Amino acid sequence: MIMKTQQILIAVAFSTFLAPLGNAQGTADGYSNFIRQVQLPYEPDRISRDVYVPATGAQLSPLEINPNGARFELHTVKAVPLASYLLDTKYVGSSVPIGSVAIRSEDPYTQIPRTRADRPFYVDITMTNLLSGAGDAESTKKVNLLRHVQSYGTGDGTAINRSQASLFSQNFLTENGSNTLTFTVSSIPGADRSKVRGEERFSIFTILDTQAPPSQLASQLVQVWPVAHGSISGIASGQTITLSAPALTLAINDIYPDSQIYAQVYQGNQALGTTGTILPGSALIIKETVPQNRILTVSDWDYTITSDGIWTVELLTTTPFGVDRLGWVSFNVDWSIKVNGSVTTIE
Amino acid sequence: MKKPPVSGLIVIAVWPLLHAQQEVKAPVFRDAATHQSLVPILREASGNDPMKKLQKSEGADPAKENQPQNLIESSDLISFQGLTTLVPKRAIMQLPEKFKDRINNHTPGNRVVGWLEFHAMNRGWITTVEISRSQAGGREALAEDLSEQLTKSKNMVVTVLDSGPISSMPYRGDEKQQQEDIDK
Repeated sequence: MIMKTQQILIAVAFSTFLAPLGNAQGTADGYSNFIRQVQLPYEPDRISRDVYVPATGAQLSPLEINPNGARFELHTVKAVPLASYLLDTKYVGSSVPIGSVAIRSEDPYTQIPRTRADRPFYVDITMTNLLSGAGDAESTKKVNLLRHVQSYGTGDGTAINRSQASLFSQNFLTENGSNTLTFTVSSIPGADRSKVRGEERFSIFTILDTQAPPSQLASQLVQVWPVAHGSISGIASGQTITLSAPALTLAINDIYPDSQIYAQVYQGNQALGTTGTILPGSALIIKETVPQNRILTVSDWDYTITSDGIWTVELLTTTPFGVDRLGWVSFNVDWSIKVNGSVTTIE
Repeated sequence: MKKPPVSGLIVIAVWPLLHAQQEVKAPVFRDAATHQSLVPILREASGNDPMKKLQKSEGADPAKENQPQNLIESSDLISFQGLTTLVPKRAIMQLPEKFKDRINNHTPGNRVVGWLEFHAMNRGWITTVEISRSQAGGREALAEDLSEQLTKSKNMVVTVLDSGPISSMPYRGDEKQQQEDIDK
């Protein structure tokens, strides 16, 4: 069996803030970070020791984790108004299995794993220190993998109470090694599957033993944001433009936090994947942490229409997942002006 | 040693570049997914849930039990001159009356700092006493002269282990005595 050192290196390697979502904060943001080490079993000694930690770094805890392990809790404290948030916990002990959970998606955002309601994500699980001997205690031979889902409703998850998350499934892990679980789409509850917004959390817990209650070894969540939708108004499908291109209004909701929005026009009937001319005033770059809504107006775009015939306006968004078409309108253009009249002279 | 052909070296050097170019994929265009398009995908995903390949476990949600306490609620806040720090409950071993208004009386706007920074600026009224893990757990008594010294101190006294604030339980007597107490 691999014996862990009696003391443990407290490592904090988190970066900037995204609400209480799992990152230790820099003090410049008005947040201070503390790691509390709680010796298990808590009774009867009731030992807790605090260390103050910067947003990144590592230090050695002088308090031995033996004989029964300790729980390390990473908290961040907000000065105004005074509030504390639990960011992460880990249970560590010399005979305790070691687990890690990492979540990947197609979005390269580094602050927190995130994806979209229609996109897959991947959960990488690594276990070590699990035993398999006939005489080994059950708690050293398997751990519990929990999958929680929690909807943000119509919000963005700020100040969400994670104890309200629903346990979607729980399964034992009994073997050491790495394993990747692939989830095609999220199972966060929601009537409209394209509009779910919330988070899924995967945690590894020990199972109950005589020394400690089930305790968290590792946990990671992935945020899931809805698919954007949008509309083009100001022009109707099949309408004929004769004098000038009408002003358009583009309404876009649930724009992915890292995306671009634009409308383009091209000659011909709608054809997905066609590259056209970007309409003036329609291009927008979004670099946010939560989905956005925008209303844009487009005017004076006559110059983009170079000849009579059928034309199409499309509303598109570019995200880490590709280019999504949110809407389109095909219309007719007839710039030629016919004058019906006659000139006569009378002498 | 035979030298590798120059052309071979060039291929080796250029290969990563070529390979990288091949990996740049053209953007995927699609109509935005809708509820109707996602329902069958979710149904299929539920059938292929990778968790189902693992042995199912039963029972109450362990994440809802044994949760860490709120840090502020399980700490004593020490505030003075625009700074606030926090220490675990029962880390304040002695609190003279005149300093009581500095405990759990956080002034809004105070900067929250770590213990070391706070203590460095408040050594005049805060004394620390280094204790061992056994003493923190109430399994070992403090040295008699130290206890005496603390009793005479007019400062607030905080228990620390290697300079970090640590909770401390009152000494519970020796193990034989503890067992006798339990047996009673």
